Amino acid sequence: MGSRSSSERSATSLLFALLLVVAASACSTVRPEEKEFLAQPSMTFGSGGEEAAQEEHVISNREGSYGGGGVSGGGCGCN
Amino acid sequence: MQLSQERWRRGWLRGIVATFALVGLASPVSAQVTASTTATYYRENGGGLNHQAITPSVRVGGVIRDVVSIRLGWDADVVSGASVAVVDAPGGDVDAITSATKWSDFRNNVSGGIGIRGEFTSLDVTYTWGRESDYRSHAFTITGRAELFDRNTTLELGYGRGFDQVCSLSQPRAQEPVDRQRLPSSDGCFDADDRESLDLSLQTFRAGWTQAWAPIFATQLTLSAQVLNGFQGNPYRAVWLGRAAAQENHPENRVRYSANLGARLWIQPLRGALQLSGRVYRDTWDLLSVTAEVAWEQNLWDGMRVRLRGRYYNQSGTHFFSDDYGRAPRGQYFTGDRELSPMSSWVMGGRVRYDLPAGDDGKVGLFDGFAIVAVFDFLKFDFREFRYGRREVPNDTGMLATLGLEAEF
Repeated sequence: MGSRSSSERSATSLLFALLLVVAASACSTVRPEEKEFLAQPSMTFGSGGEEAAQEEHVISNREGSYGGGGVSGGGCGCN
Repeated sequence: MQLSQERWRRGWLRGIVATFALVGLASPVSAQVTASTTATYYRENGGGLNHQAITPSVRVGGVIRDVVSIRLGWDADVVSGASVAVVDAPGGDVDAITSATKWSDFRNNVSGGIGIRGEFTSLDVTYTWGRESDYRSHAFTITGRAELFDRNTTLELGYGRGFDQVCSLSQPRAQEPVDRQRLPSSDGCFDADDRESLDLSLQTFRAGWTQAWAPIFATQLTLSAQVLNGFQGNPYRAVWLGRAAAQENHPENRVRYSANLGARLWIQPLRGALQLSGRVYRDTWDLLSVTAEVAWEQNLWDGMRVRLRGRYYNQSGTHFFSDDYGRAPRGQYFTGDRELSPMSSWVMGGRVRYDLPAGDDGKVGLFDGFAIVAVFDFLKFDFREFRYGRREVPNDTGMLATLGLEAEF
């Protein structure tokens, strides 16, 4: 019973968070003609391309919390 | 190593041939085809231990009738170095490092993906095949994306599934972990009778929310969880347990959680963008980490962009990490992995990208666009509790350099 109420609380929190995201998103009113700066590559998330991906691959393999963002590629980082 | 370099050259050549083949096939019906090739060199050394990796890659992608996108890619890791085979073995304070064993390996990754785009939505599926002498992997990812509210909001959901196999020394059944022996080399992996293949299953869930809040400000929140089940240690590494050494023994199950928040602010008087990001990570091995990064990306003149960044990372150790299992055991698990000990790191670096200017015909030579990218990073690690016997980790600095070329057809 205790675990069920805990699950229900988690589900309610998740639903509340999703509603908050949608509500917060709807408040944003940037019109298409105002997106000159947002369209700059330096303002675009993930615009670093393959070079940034390789940089992240090498650096995160030397840390204990690598991964968690994807499953591509194998290798145990052995030796 | 000579053999690895030859295979590496052949792999790169195949990647470039595949690139031109796809360009040839896609060009008649496509609005845009992009192809890129990069090479990254990473090196750390000091006191007898070293590690170096060369990572070449080739990527090509095309869009057919603005609806279907196709991607092909190849990358490899040519790695070599010297590492300690038995962590904390007795025999003085220098033996472990001066007797470090040399090793090298070659990993191939081939990936292919297809995507479907609507006006406000897209769906992408990718498959990646990875292989090295002691490791095999298959991974599938599916990602859905939707743009809402005048494209000011992008929501993304992704799922990934991985099936990996790790080579290890064949151990007698029901053998206690403290009696298991380490894998001496990758010779005979996946073939010989004295080798066994251990499974590792991965599932990744990811959700992203990118939001434009103002004409000069945007944020991105990414949440991810990963469930791993199977062999997660290093089969080559053994740990001294007081009376004997045994192959390191990690828990078979691990669940990772991470949250990443990024922000971009355009500062018009400087014609540049301030980029901030923070990441919090926690897993069921009790490893907690935080990452903070600040970067400045400057438009210097038409086509030239420079990015400077600083990154700080700090983590706790896992609940079963000990620097001396003979004196301070941590239950049934033991590890010789320095990356599971409490540690921190700094990265300082920069990136320069130059898009060559187009001529009067709108072309850059044969291409619709051509860019050159160069990256350099300096890394500094601090292992607060990890020692090889009585010696601190000697190879605690690294450098990374990348050169990339990108073309549009």
